[in-house]
Amino acid sequence: MSDAYALTVSGMRKRFGALEVLKGVSLQAREGDVISILGSSGSGKSTMLRCINLLETPDEGVVTVAGETIKMRTRRGATEPADRRQVDRIRSELGMVFQSFNLWSHMTILENLIEAPVHVQKRPKAECVEEARALLQKVGIADKWAHYPAHLSGGQQQRAAIARALAMRPKVMLFDEPTSALDPELVGEVLRVMRALAEEGRTMLVVTHEMSFARDVSSRVVFLHQGLVEAEGPPAELFGDPRSDRFRQFIAKDKH
Amino acid sequence: MDVTFLSNTFFRLIGALPVTLEVWALSVALGAIIAAGVTWMRVGDNRPLQFLARVYIFVFRGAPLLVQLFVFYYGLSSFPAVRHSIFWPLLRDAFSCAVLSLALCTAAYQSEIFRGALASVPPAQIESARACGMSGFRLFRRIIFPIALRQALPAYSTEVISMTKATALVSLVTLWDVLSVALKIRNDTLVTYTPLLVAGAIYFVLNYVIARVFIAIEYWLSPHLRQRPL
Repeated sequence: MSDAYALTVSGMRKRFGALEVLKGVSLQAREGDVISILGSSGSGKSTMLRCINLLETPDEGVVTVAGETIKMRTRRGATEPADRRQVDRIRSELGMVFQSFNLWSHMTILENLIEAPVHVQKRPKAECVEEARALLQKVGIADKWAHYPAHLSGGQQQRAAIARALAMRPKVMLFDEPTSALDPELVGEVLRVMRALAEEGRTMLVVTHEMSFARDVSSRVVFLHQGLVEAEGPPAELFGDPRSDRFRQFIAKDKH
Repeated sequence: MDVTFLSNTFFRLIGALPVTLEVWALSVALGAIIAAGVTWMRVGDNRPLQFLARVYIFVFRGAPLLVQLFVFYYGLSSFPAVRHSIFWPLLRDAFSCAVLSLALCTAAYQSEIFRGALASVPPAQIESARACGMSGFRLFRRIIFPIALRQALPAYSTEVISMTKATALVSLVTLWDVLSVALKIRNDTLVTYTPLLVAGAIYFVLNYVIARVFIAIEYWLSPHLRQRPL
């Protein structure tokens, strides 16, 4: 773990109409940090993740990826990115994994993996294919490279989606409830892949409901409640001696 | 039924097939180009352009094609301004009038097909493309268009087929297409059924071929919807 920040978020606010979902959230991830973001539904955890790579535009707040701050401006009272090209570039440095996989249905798994490296990052195709095959090997679906997403199980699709995000050589991986859409018996295979990534020192932000992952794999846990960071710290500290009543209630619910 | 008459009729109608095919191919192709523009206006954020596209679709989908054809061929020439404009050589000619009015009409239908296909592209797949750093034309070319194309094909093939039948209307503006030759044979010989049946059969075979071509394209573009490879 080095001292450099791979990702920082400060003072992030987001409002949907009358509903203020994020009320000033800050977060710092050092290189190699695996941060689990917990919270009950509606706490703003997914919105925060989506605001980091600007799939939602935050109303306020500063996001910095590997030392580079995303430039924002105000137009007609609304906040918007100042430089679309910068946004595209930073997005390609943030590998996003979605709850419902979102693989491109008209492409094979291999084509899904090389799409962004070849057409966004303009890397040589042969090199991308080689790397993609190695990634598929790593997530355990090397034999499925010629399949289309519809031909794979949910767990296999999610592992392919993780490989697709890795194929861009991202500086930070963002996981938005990666196991929530999976059948219980398929959750394990995806968590194993994520654990392996954590162990090789990847910087990861994981919005999740998997308490075991938060407790055993992550280096830090952030608990969001009603758009604010309610509790934060190393999992042993937070789970061992929860000072926040709300966090205590939250983990108590999980034990049932 | 007289075999000689039948074969004579058949060869005369086949002789007129190129006119039918030209009107059809040119109007479908020109219609697709116009439709692409109308769709772009229709789904864009610019309100006035959106309104123009809506009006265009409303007008050309709302009035009978025959009326549109007559307006172009017989109606416009009654305006001296049109007769003195640079477009007159084009609008004076029955063939270009026919192609133009068919193209303008099919463009309205085609643009609605395109709009529906674009709307059916799963937002989640667009979002994951954005998350990978794609935007603008690259996002359209690599993700939105290929998915929309596959969605559009079934409805599009129907529109293309209905256009071969719409070309029969050009017989009413002095073009010698398959139907007008059939009507001429009927007038000359007073034999009603044979020329019409032969003409119908030619349209039928033509549409069968077009339908098969579209089915082949659909099959070729949709391996992801077929059985998984073993």
